[in-house]
Order: sequence, then structure tokens, then C-alpha cells
Amino acid sequence: MADCPHTIGVEFGTRIIEVAGQKIKLQIWDTAGQERFRAVTRSYYRGAAGALMVYDITRRSTYNHLSSWLTDARNLTNPNTVIFLIGNKADLDAQRDVTYEEAKQFAEENGLMFVEASAKTGENVEEAFLETAKKIYQNIQDGSLDLNAAESGVQHKPTQPGRTNLNSDSQPNRDNCSC
Amino acid sequence: MEDVLSEVCSSEDLKVFEKKYNDELVKGLVSSTTQFEYACFLVRSRYPADIQRGVVLLEELYKRPEEIGKRDYVFYLAIGNARLKEYQTALNYLKGLLRVEPGNRQVQELETGAAIAGGAILGVGALIGLGMALAKK
Ligand SMILES: Nc1nc2c(ncn2[C@@H]2O[C@H](COP(=O)(O)OP(=O)(O)OP(=O)(O)O)[C@@H](O)[C@H]2O)c(=O)[nH]1
Ligand SMILES: [Mg+2]
Repeated sequence: MADCPHTIGVEFGTRIIEVAGQKIKLQIWDTAGQERFRAVTRSYYRGAAGALMVYDITRRSTYNHLSSWLTDARNLTNPNTVIFLIGNKADLDAQRDVTYEEAKQFAEENGLMFVEASAKTGENVEEAFLETAKKIYQNIQDGSLDLNAAESGVQHKPTQPGRTNLNSDSQPNRDNCSC
Repeated sequence: MEDVLSEVCSSEDLKVFEKKYNDELVKGLVSSTTQFEYACFLVRSRYPADIQRGVVLLEELYKRPEEIGKRDYVFYLAIGNARLKEYQTALNYLKGLLRVEPGNRQVQELETGAAIAGGAILGVGALIGLGMALAKK
């Protein structure tokens, strides 16, 4: 893998996926993980329909910091924001420093979805975004996410039937690093 | 809210960091962190006067010796200038960054965005010029 420079502030991306036969445009904000950007990246949480919180399974310190990222994510988003915990670098199993079971338990205790993935091999990357979108869609269907609330992070586009916009804030990093 | 050149920050956020900056200014020493944070929000303001002020603060930070985050200042200088429609200045900053980090996708994308936006403006200018030339005949 080539050298991957630190994200500066936030990087924007979009992706169109399909959930239950509906086209959904995901607006993805990949926020910088470096401490110096914390104040800037915080301002992107508001209005996120989902958040992907990524740690590195080979570096325990990234796992230990999760609760502080989670506090931010909870405090700054609405109660229905879907939070997905992702253990990245699953390809480096030999260097693993955090067990699957431990992280799974942390996720359950905090009501987070959880998967281990690898941005390098692509394992579970697409799935994580798709599962997040499905969960958000489900919240809309069962009425727990109010589309009229300004901060829902979801926009229905009546001019284009079947097109829904979801904002998904991913931090500390987007797990589909193309580097 | 779709990209770095069009999204705007909330005025509440801007006020929070303006206050933090002013509080330190009164005490006589503004930390790099505080100045950078304030500048990042200024650059994302909907008002050109704020963006201009953000650019000035970033230029000042960049000149400080022994700063570690120069690439971050340069990138935000590019964003600020592009948002002020100073596309050539923005592109020059981005070229400088790409010389150090040739493969940086985030920088490449902003370069493309600024080049297209700058090109679009040039295109309009050319059309107006053509219109004038025709009108004079
Ligand atoms: N082996 C392996 N390396 C990875 C994987 N994902 C990322 N990396 C490497 O880990 C390093 C950091 O990845 P980044 O994507 O830049 O991390 P980040 O969290 O976005 O960092 P910031 O942009 O500062 O927030 C880079 O050198 C990547 O090449 C992975 O799944 N497997
Ligand atoms: Mg990154």
C-alpha cells in the first residue's frame, strides 16, 4: 500500500446505492482523525444520519480512544443516528491487538453495529456502508427517524421519485481508503 | 453541502471560535491552534469578508517559524482563495502541495474543482467579450 497522507479537515464523497429497490445517494464526509482537526470535524457531525467509527485492530490505542469519539458522536448527532463500529485492517490478523469478541461486546454494550473490515482487501467495506444505509432506511420506515426534522440528515427528493439522500459522517476515518 | 467549495459552517460555530480567538487576543497571545480553528471556520463562512479574514490569519500562521501543520494551512489557503474566486492563487497553492505530496487525492480533487470553477468563469468572460465584439460591429 502506498503512502497515505493524513486527511486535511474533511474529504467529501458521494456514492449511489440501492436499498429495497430505492436509489439512495450517500453523502460521505471523511473526517480527519488528527487531534488538531477535532474542532473542525465536530461541526460535521450535526445532521449526519449515520456515522462509521473506525479503529485499527493492530493498534490498541485507537481502540482505547473509541469512547471519546463515541461521546462526541452521541452528543452532536440526533438520537437516531446509526453508529457503526468498524475494526479496520482485518487483513493484518497476525498483528492483531484487539480481539473480535472484546470489540463486539463493546459494540453491544453501546448499541452499535459492528464489523471487522479491511480497506486494503475491500473485505466488508461495501457491506458496512450498505448496512448503515439499510438501518437508516429501516428507521425511516418504522417512523423512528423523522424526515421533517432539520437535523435528520436525510432528504427526500420528490422531484426524483425514489431518491433519498443520506448523510453519513465517517470518523475517525473513512474505511475505503483508496491509497 | 456537497463539497469543500460550496458548503458553509453555521454562524453559531463561527461565533464560538471567534470568541475563543478574541479572548486569547485580549490576553495578548493567540495560540496556533486557536488561530487555525478560527481561520477554518472563517474560510467556510458564507460571507466573503469572513473568508478574506480567514485567509489573512492563515497567511500569518504560515509565516510563523517552526509550525508543524504548514500543509494544512496551505490547503485551507487554497480553499479560501477558491471560495473568493481567486482561482489562480488557489491553484498555485495546490501545485505547491502536490509537489510535496504528488499522490494526494484530496488535493488533486480540489485542484480539479478549482480549475473547473475558474475555467467556467473564464468561459463566461470570453462569451461576454465575444458579445461585446459582435455588438460593436
Ligand atoms: N494493512 C492495511 N493497512 C491499511 C488499511 N487501511 C489503512 N491502512 C494503512 O494505514 C495508514 C493510515 O490510513 P489512513 O486511511 O490514512 O488513516 P486515517 O484514519 O484516514 O488517517 P487521517 O486521515 O489522519 O484521519 C495508511 O498507511 C494506510 O495505507 C487496511 O485495511 N489494511
Ligand atoms: Mg484519512
